[in-house]
Amino acid sequence: MGTYRRIDCIFFSEFHPTLGPKITYQVPEEYISRELFDTVQVYIITKPELQNKLITVTAMEKKLIGCPVCIEHKKYSRNALLFNLGLVCDARTKTCALEPIVKKLSVYLTTLELESGFISNEESKQKLLPILSTLLEELNVTGACTLPIDDSNTIHLKLIEQRKDPLVVQEYDVPVFTKNKDHFIKSQWDLTTQQILPFVDGYRHIQKISAEADVELNLVRIAVQNLLYYEVVTLVSIFQYSNVYCTTPKVQNLIDKKCLQDECIHYVSKLGQRTNLRDVFQLYCGLTPGTTVRDLCSRYSHQLQRLIQFGLMKGLIRRLQKYPVKVVRDERSRPPRLYTGCHRMSYKELDERLENDPNIVVCWK
Amino acid sequence: MSSTAMKKKVLLMGKSGSGKTSMRSIIFANYIARDTRRLGATIDVEHSHVRFLGNLVLNLWDCGGQDTFMENYFTSQRDNIFRNVEVLIYVFDVESRELEKDMHYYQSCLEAILQNSPDAKIFCLVHKMDLVQEDQRDLIFKEREEDLKRLSRPLACTCFRTSIWDETLYKAWSSIVYQLIPNVQQLECNLRNFAQIIEADEVISHYQCKEQRDAHRFEKISNIIKQFKLSCSKLAASFQSMEVRNSNFAAFIDVFTSNTYVMVIMSDPSIPSAATLINIRNARRHFEKLERVDGPKHSLHMRMR
Repeated sequence: MGTYRRIDCIFFSEFHPTLGPKITYQVPEEYISRELFDTVQVYIITKPELQNKLITVTAMEKKLIGCPVCIEHKKYSRNALLFNLGLVCDARTKTCALEPIVKKLSVYLTTLELESGFISNEESKQKLLPILSTLLEELNVTGACTLPIDDSNTIHLKLIEQRKDPLVVQEYDVPVFTKNKDHFIKSQWDLTTQQILPFVDGYRHIQKISAEADVELNLVRIAVQNLLYYEVVTLVSIFQYSNVYCTTPKVQNLIDKKCLQDECIHYVSKLGQRTNLRDVFQLYCGLTPGTTVRDLCSRYSHQLQRLIQFGLMKGLIRRLQKYPVKVVRDERSRPPRLYTGCHRMSYKELDERLENDPNIVVCWK
Repeated sequence: MSSTAMKKKVLLMGKSGSGKTSMRSIIFANYIARDTRRLGATIDVEHSHVRFLGNLVLNLWDCGGQDTFMENYFTSQRDNIFRNVEVLIYVFDVESRELEKDMHYYQSCLEAILQNSPDAKIFCLVHKMDLVQEDQRDLIFKEREEDLKRLSRPLACTCFRTSIWDETLYKAWSSIVYQLIPNVQQLECNLRNFAQIIEADEVISHYQCKEQRDAHRFEKISNIIKQFKLSCSKLAASFQSMEVRNSNFAAFIDVFTSNTYVMVIMSDPSIPSAATLINIRNARRHFEKLERVDGPKHSLHMRMR
């Protein structure tokens, strides 16, 4: 995880009735300079409009993430208690994952104060210092922290990595595991996923999985999308002998990276029959527009599917699709709404249409 | 040729908890003294704009007095705070136990004023006088005044003793604001004429001062009007005018110009209300012209509420 979300400092700031905004505790000590605090204090102990909101301020190459809290009550001097427990990171750090942590901590402290005056009581406030220490260490090392505060309250925190939204899964997509299926404790997955898992083999497409596993199509799509989110599977296209593929610039990696070569050989080799790199590379390079898989089949048939699959997973090759484009304006021909270069078709359907309409040109891309 | 509204910057400074925001809330935000107990600490600077007759807009800077803020005002925010200041109002808590520290901050302010706005008028309010025993008040105030005048040299300062619990607050603030109104002499003259013409005993527009009456009348009047206004707002009605009569007098409070109300007191109760009200109405136009310094009339914006 490294520098991805490392917390450099954790601090507790409050508003003192005569001294004003100050840092009461910070771990490590003296991390926030006087100058830095003066610059940003108005975003740490804030005016009413900014209170109870998550605020990230960047200054002097540091990012400070905090949530200023205001608890109003006439028992407090000046009728309110203002404080802020925040984190400090390097300005270049991606801090999205830290935001829920800061918000949650502000809620914990607010509750503690309302329940037992944890912060306004000078004695109990001192417990904050070791708490801050523990938080800093555990969040940085393990990304999680469980910390009892007193007899009735425990803090539970976990850093959740944010991932990109996954693609929409279509019926014709084929899910293939990127890691060894057996490494997962199946009982930890939801029931739908458990039911479809045996059918995720890198060859069956979504519709087929749905039919054979007897799970409703949309549920299969969602379950696979979930696996996609956690980067446990990737999607490839259905294997057909009529498919046409071509190489991508990434195929160079197969030459450059030994680990990729080893992985490839391991993936493709069958029991007793080891493939060599030269053959593999030759096959990939043999994939060009105009050459279908059928054409290459004679030579490498038993490993072809695995090779294609591996190539797609690693982005070494990509599939070429056919896009029909109407070139001649002809009122008598069929309405051209499908022939704009944006809709792809199956081989069979396409063949039929091509037969019937001589004004169509096909574009491979 | 002057602009349609004259803007004057007023700095309100003083140690934390000395009473700045409470004063501001009473004078400009319709708080009664008791309500100020609920106020929270001022974080950094709170800005407000108040419109006055004579087309004057006061830009009031209520500066939080905690140490961290004060230090900031003298260093990183120095220019921003102390430039273009027309008036500095410095508030001292008479009960303060840190006199030396108070004076130190006050002098730092003066230094900054001297550098950035040397023509600014300085007012010192010795506040919370209600906490001092009544028979001691004059003495203590005199002492403080002497110290402050001495410490302020070469700048001149005017001192007032104040408390939110009596009329001294209004007296101080009205004196200060009075000095800021551009055509105040003319306004006063006209009011006097008006009073004579309608045979009124006294015409009060805002905070005028006449020696011989009950010194507390302004505070009392303000309180009465304030309470009445608050009651009106509870019924979702807005205050427009008021007439109070008994066998000895009749008092009229009504909208006067776009920025003011007027209060007219007649000790001859035989004069019918209608007559006085007509006179007030007729006088309005004249006073409105006086208010306008130059240019078209402004639409009303945040007034004393």
